[in-house]
Amino acid sequence: MRSPASHAVRMALIMVLLSAALFPIYWMVVTSLTSSANLFADRPQMLPDPSQAFNYAETFAKTSVLLWLRNSAIVAVGTMVLSILLAILPAYALSRFTFRGKGLLGFVLFATQMLPEAMLVVPLYAIFAKLLLLDTLGGLILANAAFTVPVITWILKGAIDGVPLEIEEAARIDGCSRIDIVLGIVLPVVAPTLAAASVIAFFHGWNEYVFAQTLVLSQELRTASVGLASFVGELSTPIHTVMAIGVMYTLPAVAFYLMVQRYVVAGMTAGSVKG
Amino acid sequence: MTDTAKLSTAMAGRSPRSGARDRESRWTPYLFIAPVALYLAVFQGYPLLSEFVLSFTQTSLLAPQDARYVGLRNYRDLATSSDFASVLWITALYTVACVVCAIALGLGAALLLDRPFRGRGLARALVTVPWAAPPVAVATIFAWMLNAQYGIFNHVLKLMDFEIGYESWLDNPKLAMPAILFTTVWQIFPFASVVLLAALQGVSEEVREAATMDGADRLSVFKVAVWPTIQPTVALLALFVTIWSLRRFDLIWVMTQGGPIGATKTLVIELYTRGFVTRELGEAAAVGMIGLTIALVVTFVYFWYTQRTERAQGRR
Repeated sequence: MRSPASHAVRMALIMVLLSAALFPIYWMVVTSLTSSANLFADRPQMLPDPSQAFNYAETFAKTSVLLWLRNSAIVAVGTMVLSILLAILPAYALSRFTFRGKGLLGFVLFATQMLPEAMLVVPLYAIFAKLLLLDTLGGLILANAAFTVPVITWILKGAIDGVPLEIEEAARIDGCSRIDIVLGIVLPVVAPTLAAASVIAFFHGWNEYVFAQTLVLSQELRTASVGLASFVGELSTPIHTVMAIGVMYTLPAVAFYLMVQRYVVAGMTAGSVKG
Repeated sequence: MTDTAKLSTAMAGRSPRSGARDRESRWTPYLFIAPVALYLAVFQGYPLLSEFVLSFTQTSLLAPQDARYVGLRNYRDLATSSDFASVLWITALYTVACVVCAIALGLGAALLLDRPFRGRGLARALVTVPWAAPPVAVATIFAWMLNAQYGIFNHVLKLMDFEIGYESWLDNPKLAMPAILFTTVWQIFPFASVVLLAALQGVSEEVREAATMDGADRLSVFKVAVWPTIQPTVALLALFVTIWSLRRFDLIWVMTQGGPIGATKTLVIELYTRGFVTRELGEAAAVGMIGLTIALVVTFVYFWYTQRTERAQGRR
């Protein structure tokens, strides 16, 4: 056992670490609940002031934040559903079959990690214009899922690798088709990983900025990331309003993440450590 | 991959052809991957290809139909531009600093949170929160915290009696990059710590205890028992953080748009600026191809390095 003193030092360091990790988010909440006068006082107000909660009501009234959040939610859910639907079968194929081109597929899935969104946005803009996807939330979903599908496939493949073959063998003898087996037997077994993968895709859609900024032009189709970014460097909107939008954009995601973080962490480490 | 997983994959490879009951065609795997292959071809492959073609043209965003083939001119211009040399230099600094700081901090956090204590589960969950926060929101809150007159950073510095004259972090060419770096590392070190925590589970207790009983100090225990186990994970993390830093756009764009006077202009910011601000798509594409080449080289080095260490360990 270590000495009590070293234990105390360790706990102190952990407190410092957690404060550093959480302070900016705390500060966003505090700023959103600070009166305009106190924002520019000599001494910053360190605690949230509940009497300023009306700032949120005003933010709803003065900005389109609810619309932006709705758009972000649509994009996030769409990205999640589409990437899961697309990833299941290739993940199974990569795990259970040997076939010509398997190595190539694996490489392609990995290589998408290297492509900056900003690089593909120009040609995507042209393709979207042709396919009439420009300025649609559906287009954003399609563009986002192209970046999540590879990771999701990889994570699911890792989970399917761990499913014993015997479970499948029995079903095959009973005459089940491959699709039956994938959907009825393998997927339920890897459900926790599926949940992790879904959440990872959801967050990608929720956070995404480059595509949302360039492939969507209408005000009413803005996502929260674009809406929030539009205030930076703009002087007419008070900072506590901007931070209120930031809070409404960040806290649901963080709360959701904390609820499912066990799964997410498991999925993420499986996807990256295994490589 | 675990041995069982390897075994089952190997078995799975044989099974489709093994029994007579198996009337599945050898096209099944291709049917399974066809939708995703088609999808990625349209939304990744084709854009990548057209980006490559675009990089040999002079094309304006305003009139893309008037593209003109110019051969290697875009690349030649970049190679001789001192501005672009500075972009490469800034990208390299940013990337290396991100890798070093994120992994060092992540490892520190992982070691702190590895051994049992009361509330460890909660602490582990909370430390990953920055990673779940949307980058644009992170950029917004840090820009406010770094505000010259009303930001909390300057206030704290003042409390600690630093003689500062309301330092304007994001407007100062010397301070903007450190500020961006600080923000980026805050956002990504939790990922490193989560992955390293998983890797630390593989550290052999026996080796650790044996080393401790031999009277080795903590640093030596780390060298003997911990580092060899987590070293492949660290290498993989380095690869990931490198690629992410090369790709990182939202945070930098929202905080500084590459300014002041280009002090935070990384490759991706340069690419976006040329494409959407000066609207020269051909030049932007050339910048993109150079960035991609760098990412490929880094990946190649990573694989070469891991192969070499694996072989070295195999011989031992």
